[in-house]
Amino acid sequence: MILGIPDPQILLGYGLAIGFTLACIVYGLLNWNKGGNGNGS
Amino acid sequence: MAVNPMTMTILALVYIAITMVIGYIGYKKTKCSEDYLVAGRDSHPVVIALSYGATFISTSAIIGFGGQAANLGMSLIWLTVLNIGVGILLAFVLFGKRTREIGHRLSAVTFPDLMCKLYKSPVLQYIAGFIIVVSMPLYTAAILIGGARFIEPTLGIDYTTSLILFAVITAVYVVFGGLIAVMYTDAFQGTIMLVGMTVLLGLTLIAVGGVTAGCEALTNMAGLVPKALADQGMTGWTSMPALGSPIWFTVITTLVLGVGIGVLAQPQLVVRFMTAKDDKTLNRAILVGGPFILMMTGVAFTVGALSNVYFYNTTGKLAIDAAGGNVDTIIPLFINSAMPDLFVVIFMLTLLAAAMSTLSALYHAMGTALVCDLWGRGRECALSMKAHQFGIVIMMVLSTILAFLLPISIIARATAMFMGLCACAFLPSFAIGVYAKNPSTKAALYSMVSGAVVWFAWTAFFHAAEAKPLGICQAIFGKVTLLGAPWTAVDPIVIALPISMIVMIALQLQYGKEQSAEAAAA
Repeated sequence: MILGIPDPQILLGYGLAIGFTLACIVYGLLNWNKGGNGNGS
Repeated sequence: MAVNPMTMTILALVYIAITMVIGYIGYKKTKCSEDYLVAGRDSHPVVIALSYGATFISTSAIIGFGGQAANLGMSLIWLTVLNIGVGILLAFVLFGKRTREIGHRLSAVTFPDLMCKLYKSPVLQYIAGFIIVVSMPLYTAAILIGGARFIEPTLGIDYTTSLILFAVITAVYVVFGGLIAVMYTDAFQGTIMLVGMTVLLGLTLIAVGGVTAGCEALTNMAGLVPKALADQGMTGWTSMPALGSPIWFTVITTLVLGVGIGVLAQPQLVVRFMTAKDDKTLNRAILVGGPFILMMTGVAFTVGALSNVYFYNTTGKLAIDAAGGNVDTIIPLFINSAMPDLFVVIFMLTLLAAAMSTLSALYHAMGTALVCDLWGRGRECALSMKAHQFGIVIMMVLSTILAFLLPISIIARATAMFMGLCACAFLPSFAIGVYAKNPSTKAALYSMVSGAVVWFAWTAFFHAAEAKPLGICQAIFGKVTLLGAPWTAVDPIVIALPISMIVMIALQLQYGKEQSAEAAAA
């Protein structure tokens, strides 16, 4: 039991929710200045 | 509420005054139709992220789904996984950038207009516009009902007046300021929501003795699961329901998949991608959007589940029993019982902000669909700001009338229904449209229609939660649903979306090449 939660599926859910959030932050930082070409594709 | 109603009223008035000032700034910045419809295609990344998030998260996401977490447990955290992984990362990276680029290149101003230009088919614009104008008032009415039901006891204004005031005040800045005003006020409202939910998480963890102690206490309450829920597969508040049980189907198909995937093709959210100047803006918006959604649904579901510990320790009852059996009142009751007065005020503003930000986006999307995509398609007037203002007023009035006709219990159901319909009707054709070299018009048309029709058929004849209140199946066949369990618990999206997808892919493979040969010959 980790953090008082016995079911690994619930823990995995929390892990993925936090993991995806971190992925959003990392993606934003890594691509902070990429794609700045106005209207172009 | 424990707080003095006068304090509540003054703060609500200050909040509305600030919203109106921001709306006025949006109005002053709106010079042409492109400003009114797609915010001049030059929005700031933080404004896009907060506007997208605040539009996505309505009061029902916090109160309705938070209450569901109190009742069904932490399994709802899987909805947060999809909200962030699909609703932000996938949506912005896979669809957002393509939508922005194509929207710019083809000068698309609404979601149906984008579909029309992607497939070079006005029929698709009419169909998409029709689906929006017919289905979105249902979702809008649900938001109005939720807002009015909350304003009524909080500010001591009767329900009818609350509903009309809520509808009109929100409509004022949408009508005059267009999408710039909507997105600016969304950003302000999103900030309030972020503060409110952060404080809520902190105070809840303090109230239950910290993360580990709180979760352990909740785990130890597994033996208290009501028999009715245990018989349907609930195993506790910190564990998943039994695989394949009715509760498992409800949590996974309706709540997690229905809402989690449904977000991808919601017209009012897709249009926000078209307000970005470049991909850099969207990249930066992702950085804000992910944490924002985690702090909204992640916190609501965690707090909802943990509220059982608080209620059991203080009253000896489960949250649902303490709330008199009404899921929608669990979170407000928890706030009033467990939080200091100051926070009750902050949370009141959080809920008002969540409701107004979603409502304003829906008004804008419905009004522009009515004018630009249905009534005025192909006419000069379609791009007139006055025509769009008129369209928004018409849709606001229709939604308000509908809100008076619908039952109160429709709030969470209408939200899930709208999101499910959007996914089934629009997602396959939208996804192929932005990626395929020669997207087939026939494929999009049949996919859209089959998705909408199958979704409606499953809703009216098979899915008990909707078939029962609708009563169509009962009237025609003399029984609530055509099939028995477990089909009665399977959400329409699980059936209609794969069908719509198969139709899209099969017909795209068959007609896509034909269309590309025709295009080359022309």
